[in-house]
Amino acid sequence: MIFDYIDSLGLRFVSAPLAFLGAVVVTFIIALLLTAMIPVFVGWADRKFAARIQSRYGPVYVGPFGLLQNFADIVKLLGKRFVSTNVDWLSFNFVPIALASASFIMVLLIPWGGPSLSLISVPYDLLFIYIALAVSPLLVLLAGWGENNKYSMIGGFRGAAQIATYEIVIIISIISVALLSGSYNLSGIVSSQGSLWYIFYLPVVFVVFFLAGLATMEREPFDMPEASQELQAGWKVEYSGIKYGLFLISDYVRLVIVAMLIVMLFFGGWLGLSFLPGIAWFWIKTFIVMVFLMVPRWVFARPRIDQFIRFGWNWLLPIAILNLIVAGLVVI
Amino acid sequence: MEQKKSFRLNIGPVHPATHGVFKIVVDIDGDTIKRAQTEIGFLHRAKEKIAEARYFSNYYPIVDKLDYVSAINMEVLYASLVEKAADIKIPPRAAYIRTIMCEIQRIMSHLIFMGSFGEDVGNITSLVWTLRERELLMNIIEKISGGRLAPMYMTNGGSFYDFPDGISEDITKAIDKIEERINHEYQSFFLKNELFLKRTKGVAIIDQEMVKRLGITGPGMRAAGIKRDLRKDEPYLCYDKVDFDVPVSKDGDAYARFMMRVDEILQSIKIIRQALKDLPAGDYRIKTPWMMKIPPKYTFVRQETPRGEMAMYMVTNGDTKPYRLKIRSATFFNIRALEEALVGEKVADAVVTIASLDPVMGEVDR
Repeated sequence: MIFDYIDSLGLRFVSAPLAFLGAVVVTFIIALLLTAMIPVFVGWADRKFAARIQSRYGPVYVGPFGLLQNFADIVKLLGKRFVSTNVDWLSFNFVPIALASASFIMVLLIPWGGPSLSLISVPYDLLFIYIALAVSPLLVLLAGWGENNKYSMIGGFRGAAQIATYEIVIIISIISVALLSGSYNLSGIVSSQGSLWYIFYLPVVFVVFFLAGLATMEREPFDMPEASQELQAGWKVEYSGIKYGLFLISDYVRLVIVAMLIVMLFFGGWLGLSFLPGIAWFWIKTFIVMVFLMVPRWVFARPRIDQFIRFGWNWLLPIAILNLIVAGLVVI
Repeated sequence: MEQKKSFRLNIGPVHPATHGVFKIVVDIDGDTIKRAQTEIGFLHRAKEKIAEARYFSNYYPIVDKLDYVSAINMEVLYASLVEKAADIKIPPRAAYIRTIMCEIQRIMSHLIFMGSFGEDVGNITSLVWTLRERELLMNIIEKISGGRLAPMYMTNGGSFYDFPDGISEDITKAIDKIEERINHEYQSFFLKNELFLKRTKGVAIIDQEMVKRLGITGPGMRAAGIKRDLRKDEPYLCYDKVDFDVPVSKDGDAYARFMMRVDEILQSIKIIRQALKDLPAGDYRIKTPWMMKIPPKYTFVRQETPRGEMAMYMVTNGDTKPYRLKIRSATFFNIRALEEALVGEKVADAVVTIASLDPVMGEVDR
């Protein structure tokens, strides 16, 4: 409710419509900055961490400890030409913008480390965030089709199939948590974990959600839609310049959002011992979860798409549904 | 309107998974390959023709770039060919030096294979790790010969330089480290990694019948269960004086081919240890004239390179240059298996299949 705060602040000086407009502008600027800063710093952590696993240094030259390397990369992407011929103009250009907007919406809605630290407050913010996550299979399919390239089309089909499979698993895991807490509001879910975190009630759902989250993020090893070895870049193959940069941004935003969701749904969000403020607890937990989300990329081989989708339908989905039933019985 | 059931996908010639400039045209139905056709010749540099214009001692830089991943094996092969044609008997120290260098190069080549195979399966870290280990040996090659990828170390009658002082400690240290890494780090990375096993076991089976029909050699052949290794069967250099095993598997799938290489690295380490211990003193080279003449004859030499049996056939006519040189490339025959092995596989497995054959296109196109 940073928006409400800015609005009330503005009301002291100007009339109501003007204050509202000002609050909208300021909130959007904050959200934009957050959306743009996530790939810079999370991306830096990702690259440094990968470098340590691979006994390399990672970025060192731009900024202190190479901290601004991704910033430089995005600036470089801004200056690049678009080289794509023979594409379907509308779908080709619509997808990066839509994906970036979806991540922008998630940034707007999610609480950034406290019950009143979300930029906009909506009663059912968990569902809205899920919708923003779930829009991507459609977009991936659209991009794969619109690029008019065989590799991208295979990638698009794979992406749509994979994400659609795992999004069902995600929503069922979310429902189990919501059932237990009786709320679709992230602040409500966190506050209902005061006695015991949900990881202890629903350990299996946590594992399922973690795997499904990895799958929807399309990070390696579950990056079959992009599969740089076989499909070169899958559905991203024709994109260049900042259109590709927008994918980069949305990838990292999704990484952060999934990590934050895991922390809020299963690890008690900003609840913790009292010697640290809640926001500090939240970010410590988020960072730890983020590290665990990053590790598989560098140590596992990529499963085949049919193996992976079969795993999703045959194992994860039944387990998730079973857990939902068990959670429902417990609540009753 | 006619409904198309399959569509045609051109993998290559510039594709990260083809290990060079190599093209495969596949017809795919959904995600399954119905028909595969290989196209080669993108890296043709007329190596056999160049040989006819070069003195016998001047062909080494060219032969280095034949199979650029295992250059020393190529050099030794050509040196053996010339020496056999000219009736030169190399001193024992030279033979030992060549054996050690060949095995070092074999380990390096197999490490590259492990890395690129892991990378094609989808694990980027494997490539970085194996290159890290390869660098240890690369430094040794650099210390010995002065070169890295194309060392140009061998010459007619031995090698250009003797081993520098203290190199045997360096080699021992490096191979100890590699052995330890293979036995521990790589185990957890490849062999105990469930996703890796899932991707490689039972994929792209090349059975004995196919091996015999297509002339596949090297680890691909031994993975299918045929125990044949020229180092053991027709010992050259000093392979009859060292003790080593020939690893064989029954399965013939991508995983077996991977395991063959891993086992061969361990066997090569064993050979290097023994050869270093027995390394005799004496001359490392017999002086041969720069422009020597070889009487008219036909000479054939075959040796076991990391990719299989490589052979050279030379016709001389009493001149200072060969009349004709024919190279039998191992990879050329190995990749013929692709057209059959790929049918029925998924597109994702095609990459694994290609990588498991370890093609180096410099050798195929010559």
